[in-house]
Amino acid sequence: MSRISLVVDGNRYVAEITDSALLLDVLREQAGATGVREGCGVGACGACTVLVDGVSVSSCLALAERYDGARITTASGLPADDEVVESFVECGATQCGYCIPGFVMMAHELLTENPEPDKEDVVRHLDGNICRCGTYAEIRRAVLAAAEKRRAR
Amino acid sequence: MTMLHRPESLDEACMLLAELDDAQVYGGGTAIEILRRQGILFTEDLVDVSRIPELRAVETGPDGVRAGAMVPVRRMETDPAIRRAVPLAARTYGHVANPRVRNTATVGGNVAHGDYRLDPPTALLVLDATIEARSVRGPRSLAVREFFTGFQETALEHDEVITAITVPAQPTDAVGRFVKMSSLSANDWPSASAAALLTTEDGRRTLHLGLGALAPVPVHLSLDVSGMPTERAVSEAMAAAEPLMDPIPDVRGSSDYKRRLGLVAVREAATDVCEERTHA
Repeated sequence: MSRISLVVDGNRYVAEITDSALLLDVLREQAGATGVREGCGVGACGACTVLVDGVSVSSCLALAERYDGARITTASGLPADDEVVESFVECGATQCGYCIPGFVMMAHELLTENPEPDKEDVVRHLDGNICRCGTYAEIRRAVLAAAEKRRAR
Repeated sequence: MTMLHRPESLDEACMLLAELDDAQVYGGGTAIEILRRQGILFTEDLVDVSRIPELRAVETGPDGVRAGAMVPVRRMETDPAIRRAVPLAARTYGHVANPRVRNTATVGGNVAHGDYRLDPPTALLVLDATIEARSVRGPRSLAVREFFTGFQETALEHDEVITAITVPAQPTDAVGRFVKMSSLSANDWPSASAAALLTTEDGRRTLHLGLGALAPVPVHLSLDVSGMPTERAVSEAMAAAEPLMDPIPDVRGSSDYKRRLGLVAVREAATDVCEERTHA
């Protein structure tokens, strides 16, 4: 057992964890960040995506202990007027919604790296996220709309 | 019970690897976590090398690139200096899994995994990269062309840790291309892949090929294509590569299917480098 501290969406948490504890479980169970979801468990679907210091990480493949002291952003911590979230709603990109937090976080990383992505850039960056409802066309539109909205603000 | 050891120096890491019975070096962890979940890897002692600063260093210069073992795969893909020095390697690193996994997966862990289907080794083979490793016995260098020794097996000793990979600069007039064929999804393991590099030295043209997923180990071959028109060079390349293919049948295709895809990958990669098309 060891003790780690995490800053999750701006709030500090101290967690008691085993050496094999996954960041995904610690975020959900000890920090209440239930927008972080388990999908495939092998880094292929993106439902568990969080940003660690702005960089996307599959929290299902991440040992929590290695993130001691990290600043983590999850979809639950985004402001209500977040451009990406607003655009996902406006573009009807959500059906069941399970995968959406992961898509939103990947979109955030993309827009930080590249504020003016084209359709291909969006596809390449969100390539490792799976939506079983299949709203890919709407998601793609939403990310492009978010980029535009961000530029306008 | 899993024990995560977190050394802060290479010496400390080497000591742990020498002392512990059955320790596993833990790099990015993306492959290890999956293998543990699948019940393929059982090691209890994990030696996490993420706290060793020198393993994150990148040096680029006219000679090429030296990347520490813990450099993220995504940096190999995106770093402008690396893209300039070894464009074929940078492009090939960009095909690993997805951008998020590439943020965490590391250069050292990638080759240490030793899987025959990995993308980067195909480019590292044609570029004649070197792997640096350390143990309590000291440092040693291994040619990547001698690194992959068998199915999921490498030339690393159990108490060794990879410290860096050195990739010689790609000659500025050399053309490289990586082609990946996947049967299930774009991010899945390929059924076949091929990296090709065409170099010219003293009027002699050499075509180097690296094959992935087509045999129990990544395969390298080189052939002299001096004076050959593209069509002839490509058919010689396919003829030379075919006998080296011994694909493992699985859910991604039969052995015959993968061999067919392998020949298509070789044809595409070889044609493109002969015609000086590099693509993105």
